[in-house]
Amino acid sequence: MESKSAGSSTNFVDQLVYPGDVVLDLSTMTNQTIKLGGGLRQDGDVISVMKAGRLRFSKPNKYWVESSQKRYVPHAEDSVLGIIVDSRSDNFLVDIKGPTLAFLPVLAFEGGTRRNIPKFEVGALIYVRVVKAIPGMNPELSCTDASGKAGEFGALKEGYMFECSTGLSRMLLSTPTCPVLDTLGKKLSFEIAVGLNGRVWVNASSPSTTIIVANALINSEVLSGVQQKIMAEKLLQRVQ
Amino acid sequence: MEQRYANCWRLTVNEKKFIESSLLSELRVDGRGSLEYRKLSIKFGKDNGSAEVQLGETRVMSFVSAELVQPYKDRPNEGTLSIFTEFSPMADPSFEPGRPGESAVELGRIIDRGLRESRAIDTESLCVLSAKLVWAIRIDIHILDNAGNLVDAANIAALASLSTFRRSECSLGGEDGQQVVVHPPEVREPLPLIIHHLPVAVTFGFFSNENLVVLDPTYHEEAVMTGSMTVTLNANGDVCAIQKPGRQGIFQRVIMHCLKLAHVKAADITTKIIDAVEKHNIQREVQKVKRHSNCFTD
Repeated sequence: MESKSAGSSTNFVDQLVYPGDVVLDLSTMTNQTIKLGGGLRQDGDVISVMKAGRLRFSKPNKYWVESSQKRYVPHAEDSVLGIIVDSRSDNFLVDIKGPTLAFLPVLAFEGGTRRNIPKFEVGALIYVRVVKAIPGMNPELSCTDASGKAGEFGALKEGYMFECSTGLSRMLLSTPTCPVLDTLGKKLSFEIAVGLNGRVWVNASSPSTTIIVANALINSEVLSGVQQKIMAEKLLQRVQ
Repeated sequence: MEQRYANCWRLTVNEKKFIESSLLSELRVDGRGSLEYRKLSIKFGKDNGSAEVQLGETRVMSFVSAELVQPYKDRPNEGTLSIFTEFSPMADPSFEPGRPGESAVELGRIIDRGLRESRAIDTESLCVLSAKLVWAIRIDIHILDNAGNLVDAANIAALASLSTFRRSECSLGGEDGQQVVVHPPEVREPLPLIIHHLPVAVTFGFFSNENLVVLDPTYHEEAVMTGSMTVTLNANGDVCAIQKPGRQGIFQRVIMHCLKLAHVKAADITTKIIDAVEKHNIQREVQKVKRHSNCFTD
């Protein structure tokens, strides 16, 4: 705890904070630059909280509030799972669980030209990256990474997708690998795609494996690391 | 238009295929067997006649109230029973606030048919003064969270709340013996309704592959299935109502098979409801006993 908050000027780091809490006093920290992320705002000389969650700090000067919710607020550079809703002449309309539908330009694919526009049926599941997220505008997506390569982005075939909270998907993406994925991965082979918008896609060679993995992940939301490990091990014992 | 698009939940092609293909190997996405019910829990509120049922993730609340009204002309000696459903957009974004949708009406009708037309509630005992005053029982069903199979959950909630409901006792007085006196609960103990039997709804889901039948379909399975059948029957196996929406045709032998399964389930659910109601009644009696802890201290 002590070592973690080293370098920050507040003792709220990694604590639960609520709207209205004052976490930083700018008058005592002159000559410092800080960067604010989601859930924080400047009220004159103080930084106050706008949503409930845990205050996070990243060296040297970034602060943000992390919370778990069902609704996703689009953010640039997030990898998300989207569902194709409609296709227009220059955009695909994609549902990413945000307040509005997102646009996926038909040219935003590796080597995309007017001649090779991919075809997606309505209801297809795609793994995409948010490129632009400006309030008041529909978010813009892309099926390429920042260097223009397709990478792992694109349509996801087969498998099963379930929805969860944004907190769970962040936990699944965290490093080091979260205990439940680690334990399951040692015994079972499966593919997984986690979107920051609270959607997780799982695929395995047999449907029973997919179901086991999906349910283990859903159940692990409220468990601590050790509990997750025990739960996953019990599940694996039952299967074998 | 686009806003509406963004608000509704949609099924992906992947999920649809997966649910169908895993059902072929007798697997369901929540790990249940194909003829297994989800976990059922019944809770009661502080007031008489309120119950909250949780079936898996589905939550339904039901509240029973009564008032004195004039009876219908053709049935001067019978009280009335009416069912109102409330589908809040909080439960499912596809529910629109305001006017009840198609599913809200259908749900109300199925429960109404099961309860009223099977004469589960003795309406004649609700008569106070023939052709003048009868009790009108009103059941309000609120959907709190929709995770599939609302009909069964709402039906169980309605039964549980009816079983714990108590109406004020009333008697006739005055000079001509026509004056109705309603006794407040402090004066005379309120009376329970006379319930002859508990008609329990059991829902089956059918898929395009005719051999697939699931009990208690979830939200996702409801989106994939091509037809469903709700059987309302009591613990004795008397069929009170059958509702079969969807275009899927079902063979007679499948229906007979489902009826047999439903009978077992109905008996099971009935005991669960009765147990929960009894527990609640005991708890209420205990609360009623006034304890004077400082009576004997001095």
